[in-house]
Amino acid sequence: MTADAFLFWFLAITTLAGGITVVSIANPIYAALSLAFTMVSVAAVFVTLEAYFVAGVQLIVYAGAVMVLFVMVLMLFDLKHEIEAFARGKVSGAIKLLTAGVLGGLLIGAISYSPEGSKVAAGANQVAVAGDATKNLGYRLFTQHIFAFEALGVLLLIIAVGAVALSRSKGGTHGQR
Amino acid sequence: MDSVSSEGLSLITNVGLNHYLVLSSALFCLGLIGVLLRRNAIVMLMSIELMLNAVNISFIAFGKYNSNIDGQIMVFFVMTIAAAEAAVGLALAVSIFKRFKEVNIRFFEHLKG
Repeated sequence: MTADAFLFWFLAITTLAGGITVVSIANPIYAALSLAFTMVSVAAVFVTLEAYFVAGVQLIVYAGAVMVLFVMVLMLFDLKHEIEAFARGKVSGAIKLLTAGVLGGLLIGAISYSPEGSKVAAGANQVAVAGDATKNLGYRLFTQHIFAFEALGVLLLIIAVGAVALSRSKGGTHGQR
Repeated sequence: MDSVSSEGLSLITNVGLNHYLVLSSALFCLGLIGVLLRRNAIVMLMSIELMLNAVNISFIAFGKYNSNIDGQIMVFFVMTIAAAEAAVGLALAVSIFKRFKEVNIRFFEHLKG
């Protein structure tokens, strides 16, 4: 078995194990920790796909910022005794599991019946992914996708104002008893 | 018999685009199960992050195997939207917690007005 294949299977197992733990564990703090583990595994998957810059951004933004946000809110709430971690109904739970299973089976079946390696035709869109990838990435982001980039900036501003307004409504976090 | 086992072995050793896509769809379905089954709003948000990460894996895999860098640019956008969504969702969870001292999803119906 080559090193690439070994790395892929190892990372696939760690990613899926982290995901299963997030879904199945009852304590939200442990769920947040295993979500961070999953994020780091996904960043490693990005490294195996030669997307080094995106892997770094994934580590900083997801495993850093977003996870700190989650853990801080969890600590703020002090959710040690959680009642009703899962949905109650047995039949509806079985239907939900079945739905997700059917969706996964459809996706995996479609993937396994699709012809492997259907390449796009060489054209203007084709850019060297390896090598000077980060330079290419920045170049394309700030030329071709500049409108989306600016729109995202505006969206982030609106989101920041909205989040502050939402969480400030009716006093602070430790409000009236 | 022999050809079947060698085919299975090459499925394990020759990692290609389909392997990454299957990993991505498995992770996506895990996130879907989390959103459907869990009742804690914060854990539901975490499951949504799982689904977004699964989509990111498939974007990067397609980008690599088609040698097209636009997949990575799309991943940046998805990450930004995910961070924004987490911020708004957690602010909603805070405003629920202030009223009911719990973040169970059934309290969200009281958010009207």
